[in-house]
Amino acid sequence: MAARKRASAADTKPSPPPQTQETTTLIDPPIAPPKKALIFKFCLFFSIPYFYLLYQYYTIEQELRRSILINASLCVTGFFLTQRMIPVASRYVLKRGLFGFDINKKGTPQGTVKVPESLGIVVGIVFLVLAILFQYFNFTADSNWLVEYNAALASICFMILLGFVDDVLDVPWRVKLLLPSIAALPLLMAYAGHTTIIIPKPLISYVGQEVLDLGWVYKLYMGLLAVFCTNSINIHAGLNGLEVGQTVVIASAILIHNLMQIGASSDPEYKQAHAFSIYLVQPLLATSLALLSYNWYPSSVFVGDTYTYFAGMTMAVVGILGHYSETLLIFFLPQVLNFLLSLPQLSGYVKCPRHRLPRFNPETGLLTGTRDGTLINFYLRMVGPKSEKTLCIHLLLVQALGCCFCFLLRYLLAGWYK
Amino acid sequence: MILLGFVDDVLDVPWRVKLLLPSIAALPLLMAYAGHTTIIIPKPLISYVGQEVLDLGWVYKLYMGLLAVFCTNSINIHAGLNGLEVGQTVVIASAILIHNLMQIGASSDPEYKQAHAFSIYLVQPLLATSLALLSYNWYPSSVFVGDTYTYFAGMTMAVVGILGHYSETLLIFFLPQVLNFLLSLPQLSGYVKCPRHRLPRFNPETGLLTGTRDGTLINFYLRMVGPKSEKTLCIHLLLVQALGCCFCFLLRYLLAGWYK
Repeated sequence: MAARKRASAADTKPSPPPQTQETTTLIDPPIAPPKKALIFKFCLFFSIPYFYLLYQYYTIEQELRRSILINASLCVTGFFLTQRMIPVASRYVLKRGLFGFDINKKGTPQGTVKVPESLGIVVGIVFLVLAILFQYFNFTADSNWLVEYNAALASICFMILLGFVDDVLDVPWRVKLLLPSIAALPLLMAYAGHTTIIIPKPLISYVGQEVLDLGWVYKLYMGLLAVFCTNSINIHAGLNGLEVGQTVVIASAILIHNLMQIGASSDPEYKQAHAFSIYLVQPLLATSLALLSYNWYPSSVFVGDTYTYFAGMTMAVVGILGHYSETLLIFFLPQVLNFLLSLPQLSGYVKCPRHRLPRFNPETGLLTGTRDGTLINFYLRMVGPKSEKTLCIHLLLVQALGCCFCFLLRYLLAGWYK
Repeated sequence: MILLGFVDDVLDVPWRVKLLLPSIAALPLLMAYAGHTTIIIPKPLISYVGQEVLDLGWVYKLYMGLLAVFCTNSINIHAGLNGLEVGQTVVIASAILIHNLMQIGASSDPEYKQAHAFSIYLVQPLLATSLALLSYNWYPSSVFVGDTYTYFAGMTMAVVGILGHYSETLLIFFLPQVLNFLLSLPQLSGYVKCPRHRLPRFNPETGLLTGTRDGTLINFYLRMVGPKSEKTLCIHLLLVQALGCCFCFLLRYLLAGWYK
């Protein structure tokens, strides 16, 4: 949920008369430079398992490896392009009144700085361009692949549009819940894959079959997964760098999972499904890292619902088309917990305020957990007051731990479960 | 295109970027286009070209991209009167629909019929939703349509023209837009001074619009027929659009067999 005070219509002035225009541009400073060191450290850290899996641990065939690396180099270009475009877009966004004030810095001088909002639009557009152009390099005669790929892109594009419309027009929350189901329609309509699920071995005696065809219920599940992923990222938010950070962690986990599945499998269709997922997750990761370089504490830009919806939809789409949505849901464990903690307030059973953020103390600079039902507050109540940056790092570590737990679970249950 | 059009409406991007937006939006179509990139040479020119069918390859894709840029921006600049943008789209879309139905009826090739059916499946929603918008945008306008609409409409029509393989017919439907573009070239290229708005001059006392010396079809028409009220002018221009479409149908009828 966007935890920034949206500039009210009264605040935005009409275009200033010529004589003050020069002073206005002098007063509005450009945004702070990106935190390149942070991103560099992450890339260094992540490239170790990435290249190890891609080259050493598994023998992946040349063709596939080449495609993945072509995609990766395209993404590197995308990273730098996004990093260049964010300051440019920030100027336009500020000019049109799309900015917020950082609530977690209220009472300090930084709490009066106008922070540009909705920079997720830059990420979304660069992502789409990367994903569209990649088709040229991986052009196979397989029209089925193209149909699924373009349906996926259509869903993601639709979600970016609806997310941006939401950021600009500030739609009511009931409509907000509905938006991802509308955006997921292209995927649901075009999905020609199987709608069967493999029954876990222990339950086969109860169900009576090894494989169960769910039909339209599977499509309903797909739609609900899209609604869940988008909104769960949206509500597990409010700290500088949390939304982008959680996406980066989950996307990295997805990427590792995809590489492991490709390496360990010999079924070409199965490998294709996971390769498909890689081709969409790598651009997500690259563009998100570029955004994170500006959004990490202290945030120079805010990401807006545009970003959280886009990221959630992309991950739902790859989970659906790669057929690993249960694994995806375990990666989303903190988001699931946050959702369950939030249920009483979201359902109206308990009173729900406009913002459910922890309380900021301007003197100590620490955040204290309130009694609101969010993972952030729950964690703070458990470990005591923390600064915003430390808290965000802790929560991202919790996210990473959840992903490692998922890998462990898969390793332990392999053979027993499926 | 809807996304980029809306981003443009909200952020007000510079016009050079505006020109580029449709090419970016057309990329999925260009990348996924697996159809043939051949054109049928008009019969009179076969002796010069030497072949009946010419494979253009990537040049065809370039043409597709340029068509998208043209259709979107030409509707965008032939604008400024209440109901003109939506009105011209409604007229052209209706003509496209009639053309599609005629082609399906007159043909026996299933692939050809499929191409025109595809076009119908996209033009009918365009027509229906545009009519709904027109009910609010017609003179006097209760709402404005924004670049979101003109870009969306232009791209939809370019897309159906490309995928239905009737882009030459589409361009003749776009005759007034082509004329407007040619009239605007001196100012758009910077050769002649180009003001922020190139609208006709409104006289609050008479309520009539008078043509200025700007290079637009609207001003050209007003200079020819004299001052008109906004509503009458819009109706006239839409009739011109409809006449252009009828002219296209006549042309196809006369040249059938001779041309292809």
